[in-house]
Amino acid sequence: MKSFRSVLHWNVRLAASLLAGLAVSSAQTTPAQKPASSPPAGGQPSAKVAFKTYPPNLVQSGGALFRQDCSFCHGRDAGGGESGPDLTRSKLVAADVDGDKIGGVVRNGRPDKGMPRFNYSEQQIAGLMAFIHTQQRNALTRKGGRKGVDVSDLQTGNVEAGKQYFEGAGGCSTCHSPTGDLAGIASRYSGLGLEIQMLYPQHAKTKVSVTLASGQTVAGTLAYHDEFTVALIDATETYRSWRVGDVQYKIDAPVEAHVEQFSKYTDADVHNLMAYLQTLR
Amino acid sequence: MNFPKTAFLVAASVLFVVALPCAVLAQGADEQMLLHPPSDSWPGYHGDYSGRRHSSLTQITPQNVKNLALAWVFQTDQLAPIKSSPLLVNGILYFTVPENIWAVDARSGHQIWHYTHPRSQGEHIGHRGVAMYKGYLFFVTPDAHLVSLNANNGTVRWTVQVADVTKGYWTSMAPLIVGKHVLVGVSGDFDNLSGYLRSIDPETGATQWQWDSTSPAGTPNQTTGGMTWMTGTYDPDLNLVYWGTGNPTPVLNGSTRPGDDLYTCSIVALNPDTGKLVWSFQVSPHDTHDWDAVETPVLVDADFHGEPKKMLMQTSRNGYFFVLDRTNGKNLLTAPYGPVNWTLGVDGQGRPIPNPAKEPAPDGRLIAPDEGGLTNYRSPSFDTKNGLFIVDAHPSWSVYFAKPADGVYGWAGADYDVWGKGVIEAIDYQTGKIRWSHEVGPESGAGVLTTDSGLTFTGDGHGNFLALDSNNGKTLWHSGSGAHIVSSPTTYELDGRQYVLTSSGGILFAWALPQAD
Repeated sequence: MKSFRSVLHWNVRLAASLLAGLAVSSAQTTPAQKPASSPPAGGQPSAKVAFKTYPPNLVQSGGALFRQDCSFCHGRDAGGGESGPDLTRSKLVAADVDGDKIGGVVRNGRPDKGMPRFNYSEQQIAGLMAFIHTQQRNALTRKGGRKGVDVSDLQTGNVEAGKQYFEGAGGCSTCHSPTGDLAGIASRYSGLGLEIQMLYPQHAKTKVSVTLASGQTVAGTLAYHDEFTVALIDATETYRSWRVGDVQYKIDAPVEAHVEQFSKYTDADVHNLMAYLQTLR
Repeated sequence: MNFPKTAFLVAASVLFVVALPCAVLAQGADEQMLLHPPSDSWPGYHGDYSGRRHSSLTQITPQNVKNLALAWVFQTDQLAPIKSSPLLVNGILYFTVPENIWAVDARSGHQIWHYTHPRSQGEHIGHRGVAMYKGYLFFVTPDAHLVSLNANNGTVRWTVQVADVTKGYWTSMAPLIVGKHVLVGVSGDFDNLSGYLRSIDPETGATQWQWDSTSPAGTPNQTTGGMTWMTGTYDPDLNLVYWGTGNPTPVLNGSTRPGDDLYTCSIVALNPDTGKLVWSFQVSPHDTHDWDAVETPVLVDADFHGEPKKMLMQTSRNGYFFVLDRTNGKNLLTAPYGPVNWTLGVDGQGRPIPNPAKEPAPDGRLIAPDEGGLTNYRSPSFDTKNGLFIVDAHPSWSVYFAKPADGVYGWAGADYDVWGKGVIEAIDYQTGKIRWSHEVGPESGAGVLTTDSGLTFTGDGHGNFLALDSNNGKTLWHSGSGAHIVSSPTTYELDGRQYVLTSSGGILFAWALPQAD
């Protein structure tokens, strides 16, 4: 059941998992944009985090608000619901100090992942933050019974079969190389983050070349495209956009080969390929 | 993307000045209006009882639609996006977001009244609108109550509880009025709860009957779930109400609910006077992927392979397009309308056979479509002129997980979307073949409206409103809106002028051809 979901799809909701999403964004941002703390992809927040205790009434009021506005996507216990990530495993939550990160996400939303923004007071944010932190503490200090995907869940594949698939039937080696672009991939991603990235690389850069009426050609990274407008980021990091009728353009999106592959995979192929990629450290 | 909103405001202000605020008294939606809605009305969620969302209006045509311009806009000034289909009765529009109703002059966009319900418990996930019976409105709340209001001024007549919010129910749907019944469905997916449809007396608020889709929680080896969170349709000649039911619970783990899990993921035909089940057709036996079958059961009378039939059609969330004989629920056609990989084929009754190997597993299963499904609550349209079922589809792939540690309560697993896109598809109802398709970028939440003049109104995944040629899907008109679209367009004619009503974010847009004066 889901009645809200599509609100959450301002853009394609590629990685439903904040876990995967964070892993991807931290690994793919340029050094200049890299967040100050960029935890390794996958896995759980460090258990060494010292947990703070919040006043019960604050947790309670935050919990009430959470159940009204957040629980559909994130689950009533913050452990993941329809389309939203398990916040008890969120590294952003683990890194948050008194709402300094949670507050921004709540107020601004995450348009790229489909999360709407919420116009809350400071007190409401404080309550939400207290509730989410308390739920994370409860989850991390309790064994079993939780949703989520562990790295250990994803170890059912066969490395050799995965290597064969990569080089043969899968056609992966047409574009990728274990000693080239994928060298060290398993050090950059792990677990579900690696698997999602393997199935469809998130935030893959698509190239576009635009020929203006003057004959001048502008090349760059595709920033926006619908049937009326095309936009790119050019070599000077400038966003430039045109009405599609005013220019000619060519989009080069090799990532789309991953879409062709979906209907060809068996689940064993996915698990084997995962096993192989995890050897590329 | 930032369509100049200030321009809208200026345009709207000008119109406020020139258009006299219309002081039409709110009168009722009587039975005749609901049975045969005049072109200056939209008295129910789907417009008429058929769910076709096809209008006979022809003033706006493929030739002149390029001139379509704003007649007015209305800002709710709310962050919650408009998901409701505005009702139109006697020149007044009624639409909602959770805990809010507006009555707005359909000619000018002028606000007549605004009702706010006290902030309540329960999911504030969306709201699909009100229903109207005589001069009364019916409005559900996040804490699963039905509120009846006087349409003329938005004052509350009475409030009754429909379900217990403390158990995990909530409500968001637009009720359906049939005769002297207000039909209200319920939501609730995070707990193992029984689904039901309730009929309530529009005068008194008393419960008339309740149809339970599943057994009470705790019944051994029986499923819970089967929520009824979208508005059904009605055939007055057969006196049958058609309703889609939601997924079973626990959602991703079917081990405690062996078998088909009736009546979850089903289309059911009920007698509206008694609530008795007349027939059912299950589109997803033993679902483990959250694929509610609540998408509009669209009623069409036409030839099927040369024989006149009373049909029911659904593009279901599970990826299949179904055509049923709505007199008896017998299947006429089952065909996928996008990538689907979770079945072993279709059984003798036309039901997909779930592949046990594609149930969620500890190491993940690659599944098409994703949890949001090949379509969802957004309304499709049946273009009676071209015989096309037009739907905003979402080809998609995802990975589903479930392990014993996830338990057997509520969600009981995890799933992650991998990839998806939005495509408007025109399906030939006699074959299931896709006559034309129109890519709309990322998944769009826009529904579809078709008109007799050959236009298809919808929206793309970037927030552009679109008018397409119903014959071939080509874009004839568009306008950026600045926000994601999660509603279905409607149309009406007032004073000889045809309006198309769309919304995105918290803004309602009324479009019309420019007037000669």
